[in-house]
Amino acid sequence: MEYSLDVQDNAVIVHVDGRVDESTWEAFAEGLNEAVRQAGQAGLAKVVIDLSDLDYMSSRGLRVLTVAKREADESAISIVLASPNEVMREILAISRYDKLFTIAAAIE
Amino acid sequence: MLVRFWGTRGSLPVAPTAETIRRKIVHALVSADGRRFEGEADAERFIEQELSFAAGATHGGATPCVEIEAGPSYFICDMGSGLRPFGLDSIRRNLAGHSKTYNFFQSHLHWDHIMGFPFFAPAFDPAATIRIHAGHPDAEEAFRRQQEEISFPVPFEWLRADIEFVQLTPGETHEVDGMQVETILQHHSHGSYGYRFTDTDGRTVIYSTDSEHKLEKMAVEAVFIDFFREADLVVCDTMYSLADSVSMKEDWGHSSNLVAVDLCHQARAKCLALFHHEPTYEDEDIQRMHEESIRYEELTRNGPPLDVICAYDGLEVRI
Repeated sequence: MEYSLDVQDNAVIVHVDGRVDESTWEAFAEGLNEAVRQAGQAGLAKVVIDLSDLDYMSSRGLRVLTVAKREADESAISIVLASPNEVMREILAISRYDKLFTIAAAIE
Repeated sequence: MLVRFWGTRGSLPVAPTAETIRRKIVHALVSADGRRFEGEADAERFIEQELSFAAGATHGGATPCVEIEAGPSYFICDMGSGLRPFGLDSIRRNLAGHSKTYNFFQSHLHWDHIMGFPFFAPAFDPAATIRIHAGHPDAEEAFRRQQEEISFPVPFEWLRADIEFVQLTPGETHEVDGMQVETILQHHSHGSYGYRFTDTDGRTVIYSTDSEHKLEKMAVEAVFIDFFREADLVVCDTMYSLADSVSMKEDWGHSSNLVAVDLCHQARAKCLALFHHEPTYEDEDIQRMHEESIRYEELTRNGPPLDVICAYDGLEVRI
């Protein structure tokens, strides 16, 4: 799994590539933590996680999303999951995470 | 080794209502579409082959009680309301010569896991030996208290079996009538314990219910992965969806189907039995969770396949 951060005018974009599972969840957590921190510093109200190149995310990655959302909520920053592929759409539905997070078809 | 599920529901016993049964019959009749059956066996085949499990059967509603048949004495995990039918069935087996030694292993002492004991008929048999193994030092207090007069008319002192309480220690391997038993402390109100049973042939069953895997403690899941390692069957608390377990039902002491699949994948376990079903769930809800769990296993598989089954009252799994 690899990730990169891009601070844009209205949001911090987190691009994730590969798999988030038992061997990569800690690095993913660091990336999200950094994204929320950068959004707070830049006065941005949104972190968008670009899932378009993500193969899949296990429960470890999903739970990292919850931890990041709690941190973001404290600073009134919203987290949006953008461009999930078919596999990720299924996983978000099976886990019911589509009820916890805003899912966007594309990065806006 | 044979694992027999006598109670699979969490928290509270439930039973299908008249409306539930009527709905199943209506569905079956409509599905039959005017077809004639040669006899009951033909009708059984129709139910088995053409109706879903939720339409043609039920997961049942007794609270946790799981028997592991391996060796001459009985091994039973938890004494939920499923204990009553087990007790009656064991009397039948005792008449055929089975040993009257009952080895119980308590995940914990909450009501849904001990409520069957006052109705456990062998407890009145002076020839029966009942050993209640638990990680908790206060197990005996919980069992005696539920039979105090304010709660139940028959006091614990009236029971005639030879009853012994045995405290087990996590990290140690205990030998009980030829079975190797290990236990692990789990996160639950007042604590709960998981068990790893290994029979003389090396077959392994894990019983891990009422166990919450906390968001902020994902790193310690390695301990559970090791405890589940290469098990033939993992009976696992899968009461909630992952979203429920980290939101509205966080700190309720239970786990999700997704975490169970992930732990079993990493442990290279062979089979996962979804267990401790939410009492408000209808059969269709449990079946949907089962189907979704199978799909999630396929989507995230990164090694040998994991067989995901769904426990129901009456299910037998031969290992």
